[in-house]
Amino acid sequence: MKIIIVGDGKVGYTLAEHLSQEEHNVTVIDTRDDALRRASEALDVMCVKGNGASISALMEAGAHSADVIIAATSMDEVNMICCLTAKQLGAKFTIARVRNVEYAMDLSKRKKELGIDLAINPENATAVEISRLLRFPTATNIETFCRGRVELMGFRVREGDFIANQPLSAQTGKIRNLPMLICAAEREDGEVIIPDGSFTPQVGDRLYLVGQPAGLNAFFRLLGRHTSKLHSAFIVGGGRISHYLTAILLKLGMRVKIVERDMDRCLHLSDVLPQAMVIHGDGTDQELLEEENAMASDAFISLTDRDEDNLIISLYAVQQGVTKVVAKSNRQNYAGIAHAAGLDSIISPKLITASQILQVVRGIQNSKGSVMTALYKICDGHAEALEFIANETTHNRGVPLKDLRLKKGILIAVLVHEGQIIIPDGSSSITAGDTVILVSRNHGILDLNDIYDESMLDLGAVQ
Amino acid sequence: MNFRLVFKVTGKTLMVGAMAMLIPMLVSLLYQEDPTPFLITIPLMMVVGFLLSLLKSDDHFFTREGFFAVALIWLLMGAFGALPFYFSGYFPTYIDCFFESVSGFTTTGSSILTAVEPLPYGILFWRSFTHWLGGMGVLILTIALLPSLGARTLHLMKAESPGPVVSKLVPKSSQSSKILYGIYCALTAIQVICLRLAGMPWYDSIVHAFATAGTGGFSTKNLSIAAYGSPAIEIIITIFMLLFSVNFSLYFLILCGKVRQALRSDELRFFLAVVAISVVLITVNISPLYNTLGESIRHAAFQVGTVISTTGFASTDFNLWPEFSRVLLVLLMFIGACAGSTGGAIKCSRVLLLFKCIHREIRQVIHPRAVNVVKLDGKVMDENSLRSVHIFFAAYMLITLGATLLVSVDNYSFGTTFTAVVTCIGNIGPGLEMVGPMGNFSIFSGFSKLVLSMCMIIGRLEILPILVLFSGNAWKRS
Repeated sequence: MKIIIVGDGKVGYTLAEHLSQEEHNVTVIDTRDDALRRASEALDVMCVKGNGASISALMEAGAHSADVIIAATSMDEVNMICCLTAKQLGAKFTIARVRNVEYAMDLSKRKKELGIDLAINPENATAVEISRLLRFPTATNIETFCRGRVELMGFRVREGDFIANQPLSAQTGKIRNLPMLICAAEREDGEVIIPDGSFTPQVGDRLYLVGQPAGLNAFFRLLGRHTSKLHSAFIVGGGRISHYLTAILLKLGMRVKIVERDMDRCLHLSDVLPQAMVIHGDGTDQELLEEENAMASDAFISLTDRDEDNLIISLYAVQQGVTKVVAKSNRQNYAGIAHAAGLDSIISPKLITASQILQVVRGIQNSKGSVMTALYKICDGHAEALEFIANETTHNRGVPLKDLRLKKGILIAVLVHEGQIIIPDGSSSITAGDTVILVSRNHGILDLNDIYDESMLDLGAVQ
Repeated sequence: MNFRLVFKVTGKTLMVGAMAMLIPMLVSLLYQEDPTPFLITIPLMMVVGFLLSLLKSDDHFFTREGFFAVALIWLLMGAFGALPFYFSGYFPTYIDCFFESVSGFTTTGSSILTAVEPLPYGILFWRSFTHWLGGMGVLILTIALLPSLGARTLHLMKAESPGPVVSKLVPKSSQSSKILYGIYCALTAIQVICLRLAGMPWYDSIVHAFATAGTGGFSTKNLSIAAYGSPAIEIIITIFMLLFSVNFSLYFLILCGKVRQALRSDELRFFLAVVAISVVLITVNISPLYNTLGESIRHAAFQVGTVISTTGFASTDFNLWPEFSRVLLVLLMFIGACAGSTGGAIKCSRVLLLFKCIHREIRQVIHPRAVNVVKLDGKVMDENSLRSVHIFFAAYMLITLGATLLVSVDNYSFGTTFTAVVTCIGNIGPGLEMVGPMGNFSIFSGFSKLVLSMCMIIGRLEILPILVLFSGNAWKRS
C-alpha cells in the first residue's frame, strides 16, 4: 500500500519504521532537513521536504494516489489541514493526530466535512491505558478485546507462586476450569513461547493470560495476588496525559495528587480539575516527595517529559514499596534495565499511538477478507494478539480445532460465539460471525486464513 | 566496522557477478570457441561468493559500512573480472588484465590492447559487458535482484551512484533499482535495434550498445566507430551517448508524465548548453579540415558527445585537430555527464553549483551582510551538500595532480601523462598524444597501470569510498 506520513517526529518515525518493514511504500514529509536525513539513512522510505499541509508537497509525495495519509506533526491545525487537502487531492483514508480537547469535540461531529477519517489522540489513549493498569494493579499490561468483554493481561511469576515449576497439564482442575488461558510467555532472556500443555512456568517469566475479566480475577485470587482497589494516586508531571488521566481516576473515585513545576499550568489544572490536589514543585525532588508523603499512596505515576527522570523516580517508588508504579518512557532501550530492577509497567505513548494506527492500516489493507478488529503488540513487540471476525471467506469453518493444522507459534485463544465467550478445546470450531482472538509469534497476519498451514488449504476446500 | 556484514554483501555481489558471466560464456559457446576462461572463473567466483555469503552477522549497517563495502566490491570485481582475460592468453600480464577489467567496470574504455580484432567473441563480449554492468552499478543490480540485503541498502546506493545528492524514485530501494535497470535495459534495446537498422551486424550492435549504455567506449574494432565509415551509425551513437549521460530520474519523471518538470531541470539545461556551445566552437575551429559543413558538425558533435558523456569512442583522430579544439575537449573531460547517469567525471550539477557558489562569494564581497542561498531546480541546497561539492572538487584535482606526478616516472610528455590521468579518473578513455583515440595504454609500466586503475575506481566511486577503504580508522573494530 502507498502510505504518506506527514511529520517525522517520534510517532512519525516509529510508524515509518513499522510500516516500511511491513513492505508498504512509505513516503515521509517534513520541513526539517535533519529529521529527514535520519529517516532516509535508517529506513527504506522516500523523503520529501516541504510543508505537509501544502498542495505542492502533498502532490510531490503522490497524495492523489495514496491509500493512507497519516498526519502526525506536532500541530493539530497542520494535521487537520493536511488531511483536508489530501482528501480533496484524492487520498483514500486519512488519519490525523489531534490532541486539543476542543478540536476533538468538534471532530466527532464534523469528521466528514474536515476530511478526517480517523482522529487519534495519543495522550488520551495513554491515559486510558494507564487507568486500566490502575484498575487492575497486578497486571503489568492489559489489553481489551470484544468491547471489553475479553481481557488480556501480563503478570510476572514470583518466587512461591504455586503455578511455577509445574507443567500446565499438571495444574489443578480449579485452574483449568476457569474461563481463561495462558496464551504467551516471555522468559527472562527474552525468549517468547506460545505455551502448550508441557510448558512449565518459571520464576521471572512474564505470562500473558486471556479470558473473561471474572476468570482472570478468580485466577489472581487463587494465586493470592488479588489486591484490593487502589484509592489514591500520585502523579508527577502535569501535562496533557496527566490531565486526561486525572479526569478518569477522579471518576473512578480515587484521590489524586499532581505535582507540576510550571505555575501557570498548575493554575490551569486546578481550574479544570477542582477535585484534584495540585502541588506546585519539582516532582523529582526527593524532599518534596517525602513532604507530600508520595510513597504512602497506592499508585505512583511519573509522566514528566524526561524519560530518564521518570524511570529514576519510579525506581525509587518501587524501592519504597508503592503498590503500583507506572512510568512513561518513549525510549525502548531503557525498558530492559527497568524490568530487571522490578519496574514492570512502562508506558510509551509513541508505541501506543503507533500500534493504534498500525491496527487501522492493517484493517484497511485487508478489506476483502475477514475483518481485523484489534491488534496489540505484546512481549515487548515480539508477539501479537489479534482479534478477527470470521465470515464466509474464512476457511475450515466447522472443522474441530483438533483437526486443524495451524502454522507454528499460533494459538487460538478465545472464540466468541453468539455472544458467548468460549475458551476453545479440541472439539470447538469456528463459525461465520464468530469473534476469534489469537496470539501469534509471526508478524504480518492480515487475515484469519493466514493462520493455517498452507498444506491444509486443499483439505479445507474439499470440506 | 561490521566486517562480517560487509563481507556477506560482498559475497552476494560476487555471486551476482558470477551469474552475469554466464552470458559471455554462452556467447563463446555460440561461436564455438573455447569457454575455459569462463569455466574456471565462474565456479571460483561462485565458491568465494557463497562462502562469504554464509557468514552470520547482525544488521548494523551504516554509511561507513556502505562505503567500505562498495570500495571493496569494486576492487574485487575488477580482480575477478580480469580472470577470463588472463586465462584467454591474449594479455601479456595479470596487471594488464586488471587494468582492462577495471577500465571495463568503471566504464573508462582505456585499453592496453594494440589490436582488438584477433580476440575471441566471448572475451570481447565480456569486455563490453563489464561496461554495461559497471555503468549502472554492480551493487544496484544486486539490490534489484536480492532485496534481502535489508532496509539499509540506501547506504550502498549512496556510495555507488554518481552525483552530489541521491534521490530515490520510489519509496523502496529495491524497486528504485528495478526501475533504473528497466529504463537502462529499454534504452539499450532501442539502441541495438537502431544500430542494426543502420547496418551494423547483430553482435557488433549489441556490443557497441553495451559500451554506449555504460558510457564506456570499448569497441570490437581497432579503429573504433570510424571502422564502419557510416554517418548513420555515428549519428545514432552520438544521440545515445548524450541520452545515457542524462540523469535517469528525468526519464522516470517523463514516464510518469511529468515532462515539463523534467525539461525544467537546471542540470539538463546546463549540460545541453555546454554541448551546444562546444559543438559550435569546435565546428568553426575544425571546418578547414573537412570538405563540408555537415561533416564538420558531425565530427564535432561526435567528439563532444564522446568526451562529455565520458564514453570514449572515436570517429576520427581528434589528436590531429587544432590546439583550441584539443584543449576544449580536455576541459570537457573534467565536466563530464549529469549526476545520476552512467557517465563519469566531476558531473554537470557539481560544476553548476561551483559556478553558483563563486557568484555568491562575489556578491558576498560586495554586500558583506547579504544572506544568499544557492538554489538548484528551485530548491535551496543545504550548506552540507555545497561543502561536499567543494571538497569533492578539491580532492578530484589533488588526486589528478598527484597521479600525474606518479605516472610521469615513465618519462612521457606532459600532454600524454596528464591526459592519461584525466581520462582515467574521469572514466573517459582516450587522451591526447600517445594515449589519443588511435593510441593505447600498453606503453605504460606496470606501476603506472596500477596507478591509473586506481584512478579509474576512485573516479567511478566518486573518491570517498576508496579513501574510506584506505583510511586506518575504518579498519579499527571499535
